Amino acid sequence: MTNLAISLLIGVLTGAGVYLVLRAQTFPVVLGLTLMSYGVNLFLFTMGRLHTAAPAVVGATERSADALPQALVLTAIVIAFAMTAFVIVLALKARAALGNDHVDGKHIPQADQVMDRRKEPRA
Amino acid sequence: MNAIELLAAVVLLPFLAAPLAAWSARFNRYAAAWVAGGVTLLTLAIFSWLVALHISQMPVATSHAWIEAAGLSFGFRLDGLSLLFTGLILVIGLLIVIYARYYLSPNDSMGRFFAYMMMFMGAMLGVVLSENMINLVIFWELTSLASFLLISYWQHRKEARYGARLALAITGAGGLALLGGVLILGHIVGSYELTDVLASGDLIKNHDLYAPALILILLGVFTKSAQFPFHFWLPNAMAAPTPVSAYLHSATMVKAGIFLLARFFPALAGTELWVIIVSTVGLITFLLGAYTALFRHDLKGLLAYSTISHLGLITLLFGFGTPLAAVAGIFHIINHATFKASLFMVAGIVDHETGTRDMRRLGGLIKYMPHTAALGMIAAMAMAGVPLFNGFLSKEMFFTESVRVAGDIGPVWLLPILVSLGGLLSVAYSLRFVHDTFFGKPDGDLPKKPHEPPGMMKRPVDLLVVLCLAVGILPALVVGPLLHVAVTGVLQAEPPYYSLSLWHGFNLPLLMSAIALVGGLLIYLNRAPIFRWHARSLAHLDARTAYNRLMELLMRTGAGVTRGLDNGRLGRIVIMTLVFALLAGLVGYVQSAGLPGVQAALDRGTVEDSGDWVTWLGMLLIIIATLVTVMGHRQRLFALITMSVVGLGVAMIFARFSAPDLAMTQLSVEVVTMILLLLALFYLPQQSRRLSSPGRRWRDAGIATVIGGGIAALTYAIISRPFETISGYFLEHSVPGGGGTNVVNVILVDFRGYDTFGEITVLALAALGIFAMLHNLSLPSSRRDPFGRAWSDDPHPLMLRTFAQIILPLTLLFGIYVFLRGHNEPGGGFIAGLIVASALVAQYMAFGIENTERKLHLPIHGVIGGGILIALGTGLVAMVVGVPFLTSNTWHFTLPLLGEIHLASAIGFDLGVFLVVVGSTMLILLNLGRLTDHAIEHPDYASIEASPADRKNRGGRDA
Amino acid sequence: MTDNLISLMVLLPVALSAILAMTGQRAPGLSRGISLAGVAALLVTSLGLLLGGSGNTAQVIELGGWSAPFGIVLVFDRLSGLMLVLTSIVAMLALLYAVRRDEDSAGPHFHALFQAQLFGLNGAFLTGDLFNLFVFFEVLLLASYGLLLHGNGRKRTRAGFHYVVVNLIGSTLFLFAVGALYGTVGSLNLADISLKLPEVAPDAVPIVTTAIFLLFVVFLIKGAAFPLYLWLPGAYGYASIPVAALFAIMTKVGLYSVLRVDSVMLSGNTIGGLLETTALIAPWLLWLGLITLLLAALGVVAGRILRRQVAYLIVASVGTILIALGLVTGSERELAVSGALFYWIHTTVLSAGFFLLAGLLIRHRPEAGDAIEAAPPMPHAVLVGSLFFAYAIAMAGLPPLTGFFGKVMILAAAVESPLMAPIFAVVLISGLIMVIALARTGSRLFYQSQATPGHPAHSTPRDARTPLPGLTLSIAPLAIATVMVVGAQPLSEWLETTAVQITTPSDYLDAVMPNGILLPETAPGKFGQDYPDYEGGKH
Repeated sequence: MTNLAISLLIGVLTGAGVYLVLRAQTFPVVLGLTLMSYGVNLFLFTMGRLHTAAPAVVGATERSADALPQALVLTAIVIAFAMTAFVIVLALKARAALGNDHVDGKHIPQADQVMDRRKEPRA
Repeated sequence: MNAIELLAAVVLLPFLAAPLAAWSARFNRYAAAWVAGGVTLLTLAIFSWLVALHISQMPVATSHAWIEAAGLSFGFRLDGLSLLFTGLILVIGLLIVIYARYYLSPNDSMGRFFAYMMMFMGAMLGVVLSENMINLVIFWELTSLASFLLISYWQHRKEARYGARLALAITGAGGLALLGGVLILGHIVGSYELTDVLASGDLIKNHDLYAPALILILLGVFTKSAQFPFHFWLPNAMAAPTPVSAYLHSATMVKAGIFLLARFFPALAGTELWVIIVSTVGLITFLLGAYTALFRHDLKGLLAYSTISHLGLITLLFGFGTPLAAVAGIFHIINHATFKASLFMVAGIVDHETGTRDMRRLGGLIKYMPHTAALGMIAAMAMAGVPLFNGFLSKEMFFTESVRVAGDIGPVWLLPILVSLGGLLSVAYSLRFVHDTFFGKPDGDLPKKPHEPPGMMKRPVDLLVVLCLAVGILPALVVGPLLHVAVTGVLQAEPPYYSLSLWHGFNLPLLMSAIALVGGLLIYLNRAPIFRWHARSLAHLDARTAYNRLMELLMRTGAGVTRGLDNGRLGRIVIMTLVFALLAGLVGYVQSAGLPGVQAALDRGTVEDSGDWVTWLGMLLIIIATLVTVMGHRQRLFALITMSVVGLGVAMIFARFSAPDLAMTQLSVEVVTMILLLLALFYLPQQSRRLSSPGRRWRDAGIATVIGGGIAALTYAIISRPFETISGYFLEHSVPGGGGTNVVNVILVDFRGYDTFGEITVLALAALGIFAMLHNLSLPSSRRDPFGRAWSDDPHPLMLRTFAQIILPLTLLFGIYVFLRGHNEPGGGFIAGLIVASALVAQYMAFGIENTERKLHLPIHGVIGGGILIALGTGLVAMVVGVPFLTSNTWHFTLPLLGEIHLASAIGFDLGVFLVVVGSTMLILLNLGRLTDHAIEHPDYASIEASPADRKNRGGRDA
Repeated sequence: MTDNLISLMVLLPVALSAILAMTGQRAPGLSRGISLAGVAALLVTSLGLLLGGSGNTAQVIELGGWSAPFGIVLVFDRLSGLMLVLTSIVAMLALLYAVRRDEDSAGPHFHALFQAQLFGLNGAFLTGDLFNLFVFFEVLLLASYGLLLHGNGRKRTRAGFHYVVVNLIGSTLFLFAVGALYGTVGSLNLADISLKLPEVAPDAVPIVTTAIFLLFVVFLIKGAAFPLYLWLPGAYGYASIPVAALFAIMTKVGLYSVLRVDSVMLSGNTIGGLLETTALIAPWLLWLGLITLLLAALGVVAGRILRRQVAYLIVASVGTILIALGLVTGSERELAVSGALFYWIHTTVLSAGFFLLAGLLIRHRPEAGDAIEAAPPMPHAVLVGSLFFAYAIAMAGLPPLTGFFGKVMILAAAVESPLMAPIFAVVLISGLIMVIALARTGSRLFYQSQATPGHPAHSTPRDARTPLPGLTLSIAPLAIATVMVVGAQPLSEWLETTAVQITTPSDYLDAVMPNGILLPETAPGKFGQDYPDYEGGKH
């Protein structure tokens, strides 16, 4: 049951990530990639199977969870963090270079361009 | 070394001469010619010496392994056939060099010309002297390349560029086909050495792969020797300087195909397939060429088509597949080389001295250049096959053979009639060549006042023409021995009896010759109506149009397919990738799911799966949050918030399932990521627009669902079954080997420290990359949050400042604590790093980046680099004492008061991690933050303590 | 000693990268020096190791002193050695160009990123651990992101974004695959997995095969095979020239992983005793290779600027190599692999050089740059033209340069195959297509330029300096190619033995897992010691 639930969760996270990655503007794509990374990190984690109250600390509990996947996930989280940071800044650079935030740099109909002060709602 | 090894030298010398010629031309343009001529002469000398040595024990071969495994060897052989061709190439080559020396105009680069010429000569020698078939193909392709360079010698002429590319495309294609054929042939025989291949004719002809091999090789032959339907590249190659046409496109290169027919004669010839294909193609080419030649107005055009026709004639002879036909073929090769080369040179002289090659303008030249005219006439009569000239003899043989084999190919009368027709046409165009050029009146006056060319330009032609006569009158004496040797080389056996005399009595062949001569004369006499008829009907047919269409098709398909596939859209790339991955996964699954063993096993008990409502509820909430994020993703800030909920949820799951380290990491990363995304969102549109059509959205949703489902299924399939891992080992050895009780941390810094090392490098790189990207990047920023409220005016509110001041020391302390406990309890360098970093960033935020940097100037790049170097250093310590990189060590020592201290060298490594994390995180956030400062500190916000005055006018501007 | 030299191949670049990150800003001259010296050192070391015969039997370094499968091992054999040498050569070319044409000063941290790139590449070529391979993929990718975006430009930024997103998806896929393998086989070490695959429980077999296929998808994304190569033309076509040249090695990382994982991890002849592993992947590689090659040839035809054509030539070479790798199940296995490697060396070195040549056109060809259209003649047009001619011949696979010989080896290996007909057809026809396309390009770039008097004679190129110094860098690869042709016999023999080492994985397996499968309880601690006598440290 828990297994089923978490499998479902991982599936949803990944699917959601895929959908957002297929959007046409940079920010949703970044969100999608982040969701995907949540999904895959959980997946990697569950590969050690789910154990409750069994931290992988010697002598803490008599049973202890599979430590290796945890270590891998930790690495994966850090890398995902680095990647997210990079890609979001790249999105900024792309907007600066292309004048809009379309993933293909295509002009977006009535999308806000440089310095969108003018067409903002008045306070 | 045995003398025959020098064969390689014969081939390589011209190649060496090529750069030499090019280089020497820089000093004196004629030096190039001298180099070329000298080397040719030298090569000829060496070769004659070799022949003298080995004439008795031919064939002789020599081979050096080149790529043995692939059957390629650097091997050359000397036998009658290669002897004949080498002779032709070198002798005619020498004459052409002399001729070209006078032909080329002062503004043509001699160096380039002779360099290319020598390249070609070497390549051609390589073809005819090769012992190894792949070696032969190599030189074969080289001839195509050299001819490309020579045809395009006058690059500024469009037709030269076109002709060159055309020739390369056709002959290059043939070469590739030949390669294929040769590889198959070698596979059949089990060796690529000609000696073996020529010896195993029966094996080859009875092998299943005989047909493909033969066809591929014949493709090579026909393209190179301009056989129908590939003949049309040759006339276009006439854009080359005339010496080139004389050498490559009449005497040598176009004979390479014929050479191949002769070369493989014992191995491939004689089968029904051979006879049908080769003789048909030969016959068509023979007639087509002769016919077209008649209607060409350009001298070189006429000669080109007549060359095609004669090549067809020779091909036809080899197509008969009988030894005697082979004899005739070889004989005609020799004769054609002599008279056609002379005719080209004559054409060149005419062009050179009158400025035109158009027979409609030319005429009456015999008055101005009698000597040249005489040469032209003799050569032309040889071409027409008039008795007493060499062409006559081989043509007689040809007629004789076609009469002999007529029975086997179609009805008995057909072949003799057709070949006589061909002969008749060749008489006609030979007549035209002579008459239109040297007799009658020129039409209007010529571009130049014609006169005899410089003597040296005629000498080569003199020599060849004399040969035509000598062979024609005293064949047995002059050419008999050479022919015998050559034929022996072709048949790889003693040739059958044949007579080389002028007179064989009254017989059918003689009659056919007579018909040809008279008929040709008649046709030429009433050419006017025939020309008119041709102009109306067939003149417009041109094989090039087909080729051009093909090329256009290729270009269009290329562009179409490529643009259709690679439309430069990210969406396309991602979809392709995801769908392919999905399919691959399915393929993998399907491949094995069907296996009986699997089916049997699938109903096994799954692992115990407890759980409680709280957890399930939590997961459900995360799922909902995820879906909400997707639904509302166009409201970006909102989506960001819901996504952070998801992130927190993930951390909870880690905590719930006994991974405290992960929970802490996820938590801290989550915080920093959110700060990051918020900062970024400041410069991006606050909403996403709906850019994709509903259809597309459904498609994407479909893909997403399928993939998500697949992943869910995969996960469930895996975790619902038991498994063994290697991880018990880590529990056992964590304390003794790694000196820490927190296994996860020990794995990170010790067991798999190398991963962590790579990981921090990634982080550092991200920081550097981001720094590089933001480096003097200016960004427009929204001055209001998504809900239209202006961002706070005061960039560094007092409250934040005081708070930061208090929080800093505490967080630093906490960070150090987390760091130190890391090795034994959850925590460690990474988490500590993030905590400290965020504390410091808070400082910068509170006091403004510039001031803070002034206050505590941290060399952030230094911190990052230093961190990596420290981590690296602790690893290197081990290498110094001779154990592998990253081998940790543990010390125990007692201090007063503190009691026993247990310290692992890995702590140093963790320190490196800590520093990199701090440095990178700060570098990233600060550079984004710095952008904010720029954004806010517009000209009108001079300083951080903005005066009420600016506030007002700014407010005014904002409202 | 050799162990330390092997470790040096990864440790030196990362150390330099760290140092350059600190010096980079302040002392550009110094960092150039450091960077060049570092690459030179790598070149010498890798060559020394390879020629010294260190790889003749696989050498293993147990990092942290933990034996496989528990720790991470570096494995150095002829294949990885060859890759290291290639990387160093290409890096040397790219770096020299960057320095000479000061492309490195177009943005901060070029050299730090460059060295990090080498760290990632060498790490990937040396590791014997699947997850560690993932980590080093990330290292080399992040470095490549940085390098790709080095300098500015709209198209470059867009191409960069696409490249990054695709590779992030690839990385996610990689983690799924590795995770699934761990979750079923319970290990991460290639050799260990190879030994454990036959013992997999039958009900896990479908999962394992799925995971394996996903893994190869990841490699094929990096390797740029159909239909996963779409990121390449943009990325390579818009990167700055030295970076594009360095990237010539990037696709090879994917192909290397394909070859390595297929020959080691799938050498355990069955999965769960049910499914043959030997022919599990190869047939797919063959077909993908054929499609890739054909489409890439068309891509060359479609290219309107030289850089893009070169990019597609790289894709074509990927196709050719995949075809060869697909033949490893055939009878001529060694010939196929050695042919693949021969072609591999050829295409890596020459495509790097070709990019450098394109760079010269961009800078020195007036008005048109490397756009394939008529323009006024550039300085030293004849010399540059001849170089182009040579590169075209080599890349299109015509004699007398290396492409032809590699192709011949591969075709000779294919004669035995039941798919001989399609392989011959595709390889020969696509070869012809490329010849035609490149002949057209050459004639447009160099012949017509001579033929356009319309243009002002003194129309100025972007870069007024003489192209000659850059030219020497495009000559070097041709020199290497020539040496390869002349020394084809010894080289092919060497590659043959390398191929034997690859196709008989026992060498690798014994080196990494000398005592076969280890169970945690029986496994030794550090250096085989068990902890009682370990207490108090080792040294």
